Amino acid sequence: MVMGIDYTLLVVAVGSAILGGVTGMMGVFAVLRRQSLVGDAIAHAALPGIVLGFLLSGRDMGPLVIGATLTGWLAAMLISVIVSTTKIKQDTAIGISLMAFFALGIVGLTHLQSIGSSAVAGIDEYIFGQAATMVQADVQLIAGLGLAIVTIMVVFWKEMKLVTFDPDFARANGYPLRWLEMLISSLLVVGLVMGLRVAGAILMLGVLVAPAVAARQWTNRLSIMVILAGIFGAVSGASGAVISGWDAAFPTGPFIIVIAFTFAVVSIAIAPGRGLFWRWWRQFSDRYRFAAQQVMRDLYRAIPANRPEFAISTQKLIALSGPTAPIGLKRLERKGLIRRCEECELFQSGHCPGCWLFTDQGLMAAQSDARNQRLWDCYRCYAHDLGLPLIAEDRQCDITALLTEDAVLRLEQLSD
Amino acid sequence: MIERLIVDFLLQFLSVDQLNDFLSDPRTVAILVGMLIAVSTGLLGTFLLLRKMSMTSDAISHTILLGLVVVILLMIYVFDVVPDLSSPWLIVGAAIAGVLTVISSELINRSGLVKEDAALGMTYSVMFGIAIILISGFLTAVHFDNQQIIMGEIGLAWADTNNYCISRCDDVVITPDDSRAKTGRQCINCTPPGVDGIKPRDPEAEFETYCVNCGTYSASKAWGERLIEAPPTQVFWPKSLTVMAFITLINASFVMLFYKELKLSTFDAGLAATLGFRPQWLKYGLMILVSLTAVGAFEAVGAILVVAFFIIPSAAAYLLTERLSHTLLLSPFIGGLSVYTGYELARGNFLWLVDIGWDTSISASIVLMAAFYFGLAWLLSPRRGLTSSVFRHWQNRRRFAEYVLMGHLKERDILTVEVLSHRLNWSEQRTQRILQRLQTRRLVTDHLQLTPRGQEALARFSHWRTPMQPSAAIPDASDVMSG
Repeated sequence: MVMGIDYTLLVVAVGSAILGGVTGMMGVFAVLRRQSLVGDAIAHAALPGIVLGFLLSGRDMGPLVIGATLTGWLAAMLISVIVSTTKIKQDTAIGISLMAFFALGIVGLTHLQSIGSSAVAGIDEYIFGQAATMVQADVQLIAGLGLAIVTIMVVFWKEMKLVTFDPDFARANGYPLRWLEMLISSLLVVGLVMGLRVAGAILMLGVLVAPAVAARQWTNRLSIMVILAGIFGAVSGASGAVISGWDAAFPTGPFIIVIAFTFAVVSIAIAPGRGLFWRWWRQFSDRYRFAAQQVMRDLYRAIPANRPEFAISTQKLIALSGPTAPIGLKRLERKGLIRRCEECELFQSGHCPGCWLFTDQGLMAAQSDARNQRLWDCYRCYAHDLGLPLIAEDRQCDITALLTEDAVLRLEQLSD
Repeated sequence: MIERLIVDFLLQFLSVDQLNDFLSDPRTVAILVGMLIAVSTGLLGTFLLLRKMSMTSDAISHTILLGLVVVILLMIYVFDVVPDLSSPWLIVGAAIAGVLTVISSELINRSGLVKEDAALGMTYSVMFGIAIILISGFLTAVHFDNQQIIMGEIGLAWADTNNYCISRCDDVVITPDDSRAKTGRQCINCTPPGVDGIKPRDPEAEFETYCVNCGTYSASKAWGERLIEAPPTQVFWPKSLTVMAFITLINASFVMLFYKELKLSTFDAGLAATLGFRPQWLKYGLMILVSLTAVGAFEAVGAILVVAFFIIPSAAAYLLTERLSHTLLLSPFIGGLSVYTGYELARGNFLWLVDIGWDTSISASIVLMAAFYFGLAWLLSPRRGLTSSVFRHWQNRRRFAEYVLMGHLKERDILTVEVLSHRLNWSEQRTQRILQRLQTRRLVTDHLQLTPRGQEALARFSHWRTPMQPSAAIPDASDVMSG
């Protein structure tokens, strides 16, 4: 079909990509609603439905999906009924529902084996996942279902967003919360059940969770997160299917999981603004920044007003600003805000070679910083009395940029 | 060693044949092993449930597989020994894997970037995935198939045995002079086949006689070679019986020794830490025991279904009682009951009531029975069950309606049924029904007036104010009658 690419492999890769993508998208909602383990229960609970569908109609994918959706949905309902009518907490309810349905599936499966059903080996594919046996009809079904899920998601986007982030608000605004939650669970069930074929019941949880976790690190917007999770899921699905396609002995699921997990771990490590490395780097640079700021303020306070020609010794600054003072001094010196002087004098105590002195530029910076802090102090005390607009107090920001000139003027009058 | 002692002890009471009959019955051994698993998991499961760690046990039971696989791979490729599924190193590997799961998911969670449930799910599925890749890539030869991982082979627990010889155990030594020795002739100066030279048929060939079967035989081997007339008397002791008994003992002594600490740190970890106990250590201890138990149960019920043994009986017990000690006793009991009835279910016999007519996985049937008992507890639990709470709800409604009606009768002297039902917004039938009930209990006269007893009951009701306990039952009007 396409030059150089094996047709079967192409079918398998496309199918797995769609499955991984849809499951990854649904995983976003599961993860954000802290219900990912419910997804685990649903995936396991699909097994009896698959056995049932198999009993009724053989290896056709359609009936299997319907049966699996039915039991998966029942398992999700069982969890919420147990939680709402007993004192059992959600985690245990998940475990009970998961195990009860899975055991039912295993009982059915072994029964099929013991009566010698011929193609029963096909069901194994749904436990550990085997994409290699997918045919074009399966892919068409998968694509249709995936399209349906995405369409529903787009149509109910606003509602799903609301239910995910603030269910109480949704209820208060008259949205049918129960129905919407059921809609999300149903979409989750269908997404998971489709993915079973590729990832298998036991490992489905990883396909559900890992792309969403990876996507979460890169963005704070739900829409982008869903798209990213879909991409991560699709890439993991396709590449897992291709890798396991080299050798039929390898099930597909584990490879998809490992790839998706790698995405997640890398994202946790390097995502900008949120990732671990980013955070370490920010802490590291903040330490320098704050040290410099502190030293600048202490230096400015220590010299007598209007007498910038006096210098301060390093020892004095360490005593004032603590052990980080040398780091801060180094940074200030590099930025040309202070300099060492050979000829200058200490205030009231004679000559001091190697002491610190503001440059003109540094003095201006220190003055404007002091003024900014003073204005912030005043804003804090008098904002209400002066009827100033409410702004978030961030002392690293320049207050004059946040308030009108008039307001700044009034604050300045107060501060003198 | 210990097994030998137990065998000797049992032989004081039983003959060898009786003991062997007992131990080679698949049903007996399966149920015994299953019950030991039920006891050891039930004890730990209760604490897991109370600590909201049920899904952690799920994760651990999956990831012990990675521990097992890595240890077996090390055995094969690094230490060059034949992998042995009963080696203690497997247990060490599994315990490490279990604790590693908990630690790594906690680390991911503590980064603040991933929520607890997602962290756990991610960690365990990737560890399980790696285990599956390793198995399908390197371990296909070892008996480690998917079925084994999922559901185990409790029905075959009797077959994997350590053999203990009781009598006729002496090694048999065959020397060339022995009557049982077989002799053969061997050419000593022949050349190998295919090379020119002296052949056995050549006249130059020289022969010597040698003993074919000389050497030392263990008793059972000697019987196999028919070198002795009667077989040695042996006891075939299933390995998993000892392993599970040992694990049960460890778990039981852990729970008994640290009962106070476990109780405290389960219900109030903060207080436990303040008082100088180490709730973290106890938690990791618990996790190690969970891994240990999951490994022990691995061969019998598989890595996945063992989770059900941890969770479901404890949950059922938790619904039935309010006290930790009772839960701890009840949960192994329910587990044991599930094992006994579950074995029958696997043969198609549902509680001796229905014959389903199938032959299916024993461990999965046990889980189904456990789920069935959980359902029963859920429905029938005396204080919190569905039935009792529905009944209590109905009863409270009825009593409340009675008191409301009596209150109205007290305000006005004479009311008709029509006026009453209009004011209460009830149907006339309902008003009539409640009135009749009150009249038969002689709280209301036939002329719709309160009797003195009715007034007393109403007064008691109005004094009854306990806003802090909304679930407490409304006092029964009949209490007044009896008193």
